[in-house]
Amino acid sequence: MSEFEPRIVGFLCNWCTYAGADLAGTSRIQYPPNMKPIRVMCSAAVDSVYIVRALMEGADGVFIGGCHPGDCHYVSGNYKTRRRMVLFNSIMRSLGLDQERVLLRWISAAEGKKFADTITEFTEKLRKKGPSPFKTLWEV
Amino acid sequence: MSTEEQKSRSAEEEGRMIIRPYKLKVEGGNPVETVKAVCARWLKEGVLNAVMMPAFSRNGVAAPVLFSDPEAIRDSGVPFLPAMGVNTASVVDEIAFNPAPGVKVGVFLRPCEARAVVELVKLQQVVLDGLVLIGVDCPGTYRALDFFEVAGSDATSFVNRFLQEQDRYLAENRFRTACTMCEFPTPLVFDLHIGFLGMNPSEALWVAVGSEKGAELLKGLNIEVMQEPESRQKFIEELRTKRQMRAEEQIKELDKKALGPENLVRYFAACLNCHNCMKVCPVCYCRECFFESEALERDLDEVVRISRHKGQTRMPQGTLLFHITRMNHMMTSCVQCGICEDSCPVKIGLSVLFKKVSRNAQKEFDYLSGRSLDEPLPLVTFREDEFRTIGE
Repeated sequence: MSEFEPRIVGFLCNWCTYAGADLAGTSRIQYPPNMKPIRVMCSAAVDSVYIVRALMEGADGVFIGGCHPGDCHYVSGNYKTRRRMVLFNSIMRSLGLDQERVLLRWISAAEGKKFADTITEFTEKLRKKGPSPFKTLWEV
Repeated sequence: MSTEEQKSRSAEEEGRMIIRPYKLKVEGGNPVETVKAVCARWLKEGVLNAVMMPAFSRNGVAAPVLFSDPEAIRDSGVPFLPAMGVNTASVVDEIAFNPAPGVKVGVFLRPCEARAVVELVKLQQVVLDGLVLIGVDCPGTYRALDFFEVAGSDATSFVNRFLQEQDRYLAENRFRTACTMCEFPTPLVFDLHIGFLGMNPSEALWVAVGSEKGAELLKGLNIEVMQEPESRQKFIEELRTKRQMRAEEQIKELDKKALGPENLVRYFAACLNCHNCMKVCPVCYCRECFFESEALERDLDEVVRISRHKGQTRMPQGTLLFHITRMNHMMTSCVQCGICEDSCPVKIGLSVLFKKVSRNAQKEFDYLSGRSLDEPLPLVTFREDEFRTIGE
């Protein structure tokens, strides 16, 4: 039996985290290939529907990367992302669902190393947790 | 300027509610007729152009009705009608989106409906200019169908009985599920508030003024200043405590059967994807819903790809996606009126679920839906120095 490989859907902010990921690449920093990046204009553009949809359809984790608070290209997008994440986590807890499968991190365009480390850590964490329960639930 | 006036002036400046309590004398031991007579007078004198209040027709219709004829209101209006088929806020949303100059409508609202109106104002779906919010006490409501069974055809005399024997009807507890858990028997935001809880409504009703608009309605009426009776405060406090305990019990039951992915799927197993819960929700306000747009339409190859991932997939897809996303979109504004559950053809226990989820969510932001017009919605505002651990 092949070992479990976590599947992560990543939403990367165009202005910071996507550039950070790019820097990790051009700096040749190794990180696991488990995350499929989706470039978004702002972390605040990631409506909860996309997070839930990824989880329901079989992603083991969802990663959202945004600019550090105060550095948002749209001034306050990431502050709002932060509030939305508080709401999302609260709802996940209320429903008895695992909020640790969704990760929000602030990663700037200069933090290629931090990007690689974050993805490595998240992948390992999900590897330990095992497959998402929704992966096998076809009735969702 | 007297000290009294100065006090209220400063309260106004701070945006707090000014509440001046009065006593409305009840004529002939009939509180329902008394309130209707007052409304008829407002219409006759042109203080209000129309009044929206619950009504009950000879043909068995119980619904909010917009009255403009003083005679009609005396004929079929039933203030305090304890039957709820729609949340009146969703009707207010329709009539107060574009106010007309010079048109003033008084709207009777139960506490949950008044809270929903406040949320809709903040969501920019309701403009208050043409409205006078008349909040009423509400010890609970029946589902419209149950109401016919309990009340028979003469709604007015039933409601008078209901007001006079509050304890008896509260003990029977045949109310809608959401009402059995409701912590707000009195409205939080109002222009005028008419109450009866913990009083003898065949003698007097309790009237409180929340704004200048509300004060204008009282001009020329037979009222006198009255302090809030202690019996009333005690009654409301006891009712709240009882309801809170009932809410905790029901949430405990919910936790036994709805927590975790598998249980959650089971809880929503019968969901038809009809979206009724969303359509009747007063605060689910989008004119075009994301879930009914083309954004979620899929081609054949996409559906097959998804099916291939798990080997099989339920059709139609996405019932849980719909519910969890809906929670994310409107939980901070949810007023727990429970109309969603009433409209559910397969009777999914949405009242208690939303009670729990929305209460937890609103607590995170120290927010209570419909508490105040001045509190910004949690998701449109932020502070730089909050939630520092998220994302770090």
